[in-house]
Amino acid sequence: MTCPYLEYRGESDGEQFDHLRAYCTAAERFVQPMRADICNDRYDLDHAEHCEIYRKHTEEGEP
Amino acid sequence: MSYADYLAGDPLIITAALTGGVHGKEANPNLPETPEEIGRAAAAAEEAGASVVHLHARRPNGERSFATERFQEIDDAVRRHADDVIIQHSTGGTGAPDEDRHLPLRTDPPPEMASLDMGPLNRYDHLTSENTRGLVDSLHEEMIDRDIKPELEVFNDGHLNEVHQLLERRDLADPVYATLIFGPGTLTPPRPQNFLNSIDNLPEGALFNTLGFGRHQLPFATMGTLFGGHVRVGLEDNVYYRKGELATSNAQLVERVVQIANKLGREVATPDQARDILNI
Repeated sequence: MTCPYLEYRGESDGEQFDHLRAYCTAAERFVQPMRADICNDRYDLDHAEHCEIYRKHTEEGEP
Repeated sequence: MSYADYLAGDPLIITAALTGGVHGKEANPNLPETPEEIGRAAAAAEEAGASVVHLHARRPNGERSFATERFQEIDDAVRRHADDVIIQHSTGGTGAPDEDRHLPLRTDPPPEMASLDMGPLNRYDHLTSENTRGLVDSLHEEMIDRDIKPELEVFNDGHLNEVHQLLERRDLADPVYATLIFGPGTLTPPRPQNFLNSIDNLPEGALFNTLGFGRHQLPFATMGTLFGGHVRVGLEDNVYYRKGELATSNAQLVERVVQIANKLGREVATPDQARDILNI
């Protein structure tokens, strides 16, 4: 299951890209490609374990 | 290697780390991500003075790929656009299964060089790229089988112990080539005394490449040049040209270290000279 904060967007705040890119709605920014693998739970990665942004927002009781 | 090697005038090998696998166009829109962009960036970097290009592979949206087929597309683009530059694949892969780490070695032809991470590296707050000795040995075994020159990536001085241990348990072709990496986090703190200490702890006869992250790229490239080492620059390691000003290309970063080498009287190696120096 991918991170609930993950969206794919082509633009935000004046930044535009040719392809949709990983955007973190918790951090409100495009994320690094390596971090996108965590968002997507690819390989041996798990957003609930490896992403400090998800963990912080979850601990704070945000959706 | 030492200041005496600088005085002796050995040519300087410049590696351009064109794209990386951590940040992408969200950090600098000039960073190449597609095979075509990487191929053109390799040609421009070679024209500027790079003799080696260090490559990672990405999906169309910039996210990481370890697939042999994607590396093949990139290599084909590099060979289409560049003249004779040495191709070096990354075998790094935080969070990727060990079997995926082998995939970049399996292009046709294989890369002339490939990176070999010498130990753990922390990423973010809850993630570590482990790089166990078992993985190091299995990657090195496949590099031997495919006649690929390893570039030993030394994230900190503890990894110099790993280099010595690797030499005790495996045969590495001379010369050993190690990249000394300086920056934040798990990396060696970027201070001149640490640079000198790292050089002192290299195995006898080893050649070194110098990599400073972020704003440390230029000063450490200069130190590497002055102490008889080689240098790596590029957008993988540093997206800025100077404070507050994004680099316009990998070639721009290569051109700057070429200018420094020229001012210091050190010849810049051609790809063929680099092959001779590295025994490729």
